[in-house]
Amino acid sequence: MRGMPTLSIITWAPFVGAVLIMFLARHRPLLVRWIALCSTSVSLVLSIFIYVIYEREAAGFQFYEELPLVPPLGINYQLGADGMSLLMVLLTSIIIFAGVFASWTVKERSQEFYALLLVLVTGVYGVFVSLDLFVLFLFYEIAVLPMYLLIGIWGSSGEVRPQGIFAWAFRRTGVGTKEYAAMKLTLYLLFGSAFILVGILALYVAAGSTSFSFLEMEGIAFDRGLQSWVFLAFYVGFGILAGIWPLHTWSPDGHASAPTAVSMLHAGVLMKLGAYGVVRLGLGLLPDGAVQWVWLVGAIACVNIVYGALSAMAQTDLKYVIAYSSVSHMGVVMLGMATLTEIGLNGSVFQMFAHGIMTGLFFALVGLVYEKAHSRAIFTMGGFGQMMPGIATAFTIAGLSSLGLPATAGFVAEFLTFLGAWQSPWSWWLFPGVIGAFLTSVYVLRVAKQIFWGLKSTDPHFQHLPDAQGTEWAALVILVFTLVLFGVAPGIALGPVDTATVPLLIRLGVLQ
Amino acid sequence: MMSGMTLEIGLAVLILLVFVTGLAGRREDRRRVGVLAAIGLAVLLALAFRAEPGAVLFGGTFVQDELAIFTKRLFLVATLLGVLGSLGLRTPTFARRATEYYVAMLASLLGMLVLASARELILLFVAFELMSIPLYVISGFRKREGESVEAALKFFLIGTVSSAFIVYGLSFVYGISKTTDLAHVAAALADGHPLLLLGMTLTLGGLGFKIAAFPFHMWVPDTYEAASTPFVAWLSVAPKAAGFVVMFRLYLEGVGDAVLLWVPVAAGLAAITIVAGNLMAIPQQNIKRLLAYSGIAHIGYMLVGFAAVSADGVAMMLFYLVAYLFGNMGAFFVVEAVAQSDGSEAIAAYKGLAQRSPVLALSMLLFLLSLGGIPFVAGFWAKLYVFWAAAERGMYWLVLVGAILTVVALFYYLLVAKRMYIDAPERPQPVPVSPFLAFSILVCAAGVVGLGVYPKPLVMAAFRAASGLF
Repeated sequence: MRGMPTLSIITWAPFVGAVLIMFLARHRPLLVRWIALCSTSVSLVLSIFIYVIYEREAAGFQFYEELPLVPPLGINYQLGADGMSLLMVLLTSIIIFAGVFASWTVKERSQEFYALLLVLVTGVYGVFVSLDLFVLFLFYEIAVLPMYLLIGIWGSSGEVRPQGIFAWAFRRTGVGTKEYAAMKLTLYLLFGSAFILVGILALYVAAGSTSFSFLEMEGIAFDRGLQSWVFLAFYVGFGILAGIWPLHTWSPDGHASAPTAVSMLHAGVLMKLGAYGVVRLGLGLLPDGAVQWVWLVGAIACVNIVYGALSAMAQTDLKYVIAYSSVSHMGVVMLGMATLTEIGLNGSVFQMFAHGIMTGLFFALVGLVYEKAHSRAIFTMGGFGQMMPGIATAFTIAGLSSLGLPATAGFVAEFLTFLGAWQSPWSWWLFPGVIGAFLTSVYVLRVAKQIFWGLKSTDPHFQHLPDAQGTEWAALVILVFTLVLFGVAPGIALGPVDTATVPLLIRLGVLQ
Repeated sequence: MMSGMTLEIGLAVLILLVFVTGLAGRREDRRRVGVLAAIGLAVLLALAFRAEPGAVLFGGTFVQDELAIFTKRLFLVATLLGVLGSLGLRTPTFARRATEYYVAMLASLLGMLVLASARELILLFVAFELMSIPLYVISGFRKREGESVEAALKFFLIGTVSSAFIVYGLSFVYGISKTTDLAHVAAALADGHPLLLLGMTLTLGGLGFKIAAFPFHMWVPDTYEAASTPFVAWLSVAPKAAGFVVMFRLYLEGVGDAVLLWVPVAAGLAAITIVAGNLMAIPQQNIKRLLAYSGIAHIGYMLVGFAAVSADGVAMMLFYLVAYLFGNMGAFFVVEAVAQSDGSEAIAAYKGLAQRSPVLALSMLLFLLSLGGIPFVAGFWAKLYVFWAAAERGMYWLVLVGAILTVVALFYYLLVAKRMYIDAPERPQPVPVSPFLAFSILVCAAGVVGLGVYPKPLVMAAFRAASGLF
């Protein structure tokens, strides 16, 4: 099994699925879903497999593959995975597998929908496993672009009524509509990729214009001034995707307008891609730059946590609540990495995973609720717990993980991160973090109480709503199971992650 | 001597053939001469791919070096596509006067071919005028339409003024260096005489009009909007490429360390052109005007490669030109197809095109993505390569400006994509595309995708072409 190009298979299986869907499954919606399911389960099985057989003692990048692409410029198709990327690959597999089920009910143009979704996933996998910066950038673009069509065609427009003195401007730009959200998201992320491209080119030229390989660049100590600005370029570029304040505004609009599976994938995995980029390229290649700028990264992360939580509290649209909670939780991820401690960085990576699963679950649930009740307005709904006990339970578990209750994955992540923050030179970071956790419990419990556990709504539309049925259960069961599993046995994730973070921190000079 | 000038002589023969055939044909429909022109161009193109570099004629005034051969192939490909696209034109004026149209187009091509080889100021200028004058004529081809006349007049006036600038500038160059031979001009440039620099700067201004860099771009949108679309497709690529060749010959070839003089000027021009072109494209409602402004921005990106003043920079510009050729001409051909079917050049006419004509919409999407610089289509490599060349020169600020404005460009390209893919169609029937037009669109799409997937051979060829300059 070792000789197989496992990472390539994981990466390209969804793409093959997409091609098959485009060519074989015209006007056969069921076949479309089966092909999507098969191709993603290939990826899922293999990612679990490599996660298990990864040799922790040897650590470093394993499952290495290389193929020259453009030899004169030193561009190679170079793949490899360490503990951190393995966990991210696993996360991607779980989310897309659940996402295929969650979009089972897409009616309009489902063939193109699934094809684009699978292409997108190939891009995501590719970013996590490429070791060549150029190929990484290519995959990054693949992961960003299909989003425009996915949101633009299959998205939903929110029910936001523009108010206040700028209402005219909102109406003219069409804030809240899916077209607006799709365009905003795409432009923000491409804006970020412009910075990433400049950073990558700068490193490439500084390393002698011979290779884009991460492994080779890792061995080079770049000039301090260069490190400083390239780190900022990467931070802004990848940070936009990770939803750093004040460049996060694409995320609530985009996630709220996107169709269910796309929201799951985007909030669950793509935002992690940004955080992963900052850790991998920012911390990994630019140690001096990282040490110089972590104070900024951490401070902005604190703003993210509190600001995201406060914004989530103010929302009346269910999907916007979840979307803003992502902004807040991504702050925890960025805070963890800014601590530059072993515990904090582990917590950060663990939070990427935990938040990915949790927010995926949330968006799947919101999608289900919307499908049953045709509403996202929190305060019109009420008492759904009696009619849909399954959905209500899953929502509550996700909510408890979100606010960091022990025995859920969210607890482990937040606990480690806050501990790391306390150990770091900026121990005051702990306070915004804890305040954020508190605010999270306020908005999550408020929503859960209002929609599921509170008084029954008198609205005649909400009287006889079914619970989840058939394939709809799949996504919920998978995600709830993962969330609890990693909550009670965090060692499954932390073991491999630790093998990746410790060498990183040694290179940064904070660990001996 | 023959071997060095085969293409030029062949083209002159072709022009005469087309002319005579045109005289003999039926009065009302002379479109058939276009087929003859296309076949002739295809033959010349085949010859161009067999051409060997190395010939030096007339005491060094006319050289057939790698750069000349590369650009001649480019001109021939562009013109062949332009002629093929023009064969799909349906208007009666066009059918009656097709001979004039093709003869003018080929004459302009002859100017370009000579220009690519010219190493002497007077030959350079004469070739330049031979290229430019037929363009004015074709711009005003539909002479009974006010718009067309206005566009041609605007183009003509600005074009001649810019030619005057060039001649005026070159007179200084001649006055100081006391020679019209470019090799000696380059040597004189090393002394950095202020009048010589003045002359070169004036010439650069004149060339700026020709390549339509900001702030010399005003004629572009109006001319593009009014002239016939397949011609505009060609106009937007071939003469621009010729302008760049002149710039290479005049400002870079054999100049040595003095080339660094041009870095700030070219970088400034590049940055301002990119910013202005992209920003002005945003509010456009007419697709041809949109493409006109986006074309201005692309000239800016090519100038980024020029600003690098290195062999890499020039090579990457040449690559960019080829990528731009396929992307831009393809987009214009799609515009022509839609305009013939729906009678509209508004962006709104593209509503639901994906459901009406999926292949046409997909081609357009590919062209737009290529122009926007998205991976796996040619434009991505083009942008990446010019940025790389600029990064080598240490101009990261220019790379950042370029990269950020790419996002603006994608905004307006995506607006068109949105019309095609997201909006519902206003009428159900598919867009009929004449076979010639369909063929040219497919060639362009193949070029865009082919270069996007496997850019290596062209990159190598571009490197070879540029290596002789430094």
